Amino acid sequence: MNALVKADGLGKTFTAKPTTAKRLHLSSLARPSRTADPFWALRNVSFEVARGEMMGIVGANGAGKSTLLRLLGGIGRPTTGTLEMNGRIGALLELGGGFQGDLTGRENAILAAVVAGLLKSEALELLPEIIRFAELENFIDAPIRTYSTGMTMRLAFAVAVHTEPEIMLVDEFLAVGDLAFQAKCNARIAKLREAGCAIVLVSHGMDQIREQCDRALWLRRGEVVACDTAKAVATYYEQEMREESLRRTPETLPLSTASGTPALRKENRFGSMEMEISGVTLRPGPKLTCGAPLAVEIQFQCPATLDSPIFALSITRPDGMICLDTNTRSARIPIPPLHGDGFIQLTIERLDLAAGAYFINVGVFDSNWSHAYDFHWHMYQIFMEGGSAHKGILAPPNQWTMKLA
Amino acid sequence: MSTKPSHQNSQERAWKHAADLFSVLVSRDLKILYKRSSLGFGWALVTPLLQLFIFSFVFRRALRMEVHNYPSFVFIGVLVFGWLQGALSQCGGIITSSKSLVTQPGFPLTLLPHVMVSVRLFHFLIALPILFGLLWCQGIRPAWPWFSIPGLLVVQYLLIVGMAYPLASLNVIFRDTQHIVGVSLQLIMFVTPVFYSLDQVPEQMHPWFYLNPMVGLIQSWRDVLLDGNWPNPVTLLTLSVVGITLLIIGRRTFVAQSHCFVEEL
Repeated sequence: MNALVKADGLGKTFTAKPTTAKRLHLSSLARPSRTADPFWALRNVSFEVARGEMMGIVGANGAGKSTLLRLLGGIGRPTTGTLEMNGRIGALLELGGGFQGDLTGRENAILAAVVAGLLKSEALELLPEIIRFAELENFIDAPIRTYSTGMTMRLAFAVAVHTEPEIMLVDEFLAVGDLAFQAKCNARIAKLREAGCAIVLVSHGMDQIREQCDRALWLRRGEVVACDTAKAVATYYEQEMREESLRRTPETLPLSTASGTPALRKENRFGSMEMEISGVTLRPGPKLTCGAPLAVEIQFQCPATLDSPIFALSITRPDGMICLDTNTRSARIPIPPLHGDGFIQLTIERLDLAAGAYFINVGVFDSNWSHAYDFHWHMYQIFMEGGSAHKGILAPPNQWTMKLA
Repeated sequence: MSTKPSHQNSQERAWKHAADLFSVLVSRDLKILYKRSSLGFGWALVTPLLQLFIFSFVFRRALRMEVHNYPSFVFIGVLVFGWLQGALSQCGGIITSSKSLVTQPGFPLTLLPHVMVSVRLFHFLIALPILFGLLWCQGIRPAWPWFSIPGLLVVQYLLIVGMAYPLASLNVIFRDTQHIVGVSLQLIMFVTPVFYSLDQVPEQMHPWFYLNPMVGLIQSWRDVLLDGNWPNPVTLLTLSVVGITLLIIGRRTFVAQSHCFVEEL
């Protein structure tokens, strides 16, 4: 296997001492210059990515993921160590960042393709395919400023994957467009990999890491915690997140939520309590007939402003089997920075669960899943009644028909 | 599907790509400037024309300045100095305002000053027909020395790019550069014979004036266009040497510093 990306002992420091800019500022001339310790954004990071391999990079915010991606892209120089990039680099870093609102989609696509390394003739040749891929045939001659965010992202993605890079650097992508477009993107990525493109992907989604990457690198405060198969790293990472939530659960957790459901610290309630789920209301109520709608209202109290937390809800059987698992991140519901009280509601149009008892678990997490603010596990019970299923989980409407010859 | 670059022609391809990149960036900048204005490229002419009218009025009618063919005389000065002023007042911001390009892997940063100086060259070129019209109206007819115009353009291009490189890199680490350059250019215009003639300056001060490369350059343009003389070869040679030296040193420091640019963004 020949490695396309070869990093050996990479380190990157950002000195906290005044930069040249600050030193030149007249205001700081009088002050004695401080000699501060360098801040290691990355320290001794070594890894290789082979042809056709996809490497995931995980870690909390500020762990050095973006710094690493930048170094790989040749933006800035590593302070220590060596880096070999053997191939043309493509990047999906800021999707659509270079687009000019007043230019048309076509002009922007050509510009982006040439900036990404294609000749103008090649860009023109590829353009019809790019437009088809982005599904923008009817809008391509309109200025980009009239595009929706989704359309802009689709165009940026289409250009990037069509420039045929040998090494592709990706920062949290594939949340582009609808599910059908995502499937198309994944197929295109798979095709790039088959052609031998090495991909480095930064992601917060452990499912994405598990499903798409071969290996993963976990960074914490600039240092490698683990570099192993994607499955193993994702599992370690999730485990650490659970422990982190446990560790952050305060000793003086309220014994019950505002609505009176008893909570036992570290048994069915976890989290740092920076934000609290103060109550959960089930509508119409905990007793449901099979196929009936269910609305779950999660009331929350947020004493300090929190940046875009993620709300999650799952339905589990008493034995822990997960029947439904959804969250505002995967549903791509934009959550603004929160402050104060409020509620969020999930409406399930019909709940076709087999008869029996189930738990509704609700949680709210920090914006990159690094820990839970508050997570209520097996605190709210629902009882499904009726339904034709005898065993199993699902009880959708169904009918038997039989015909005898 | 596109053809992948093979190793034999990779150098050739790199040059071709740089040329393509240059042309798409220049056309992008031109389009952005004028796309949504109703006057469009006409705006490129508004500033020099306004300056022409103001200077003609103030100096000919109000101050009764005696210079032969004053409107064309002033228009040459305004256009030549305008190219420098337009380019240099913007070059400070070229790195900081093109963040998305700078953070693109493999983007040749050294192209940016050329793009910006060329955008301004384009403005200069579309104003040239008006200058020729003005000369014609004042009874000046094309002469053989006019063939030296491309040479003058090259010399001026070298000079401006040579100054743009160091200013662009300086502005990244010292953001005040952009403002200082803006103010200095205003002042420099007054010590450059744009709206007056060098003959009106006391003889003993001429050496000081000639330290300003724009003085020799504007002089050469006027020699060619107004008097139909060939430009002074010594002046042009000196200016070329200055331009090339600035370009080489400026580009070197720019390249040496370019890895810091990203961290400063």
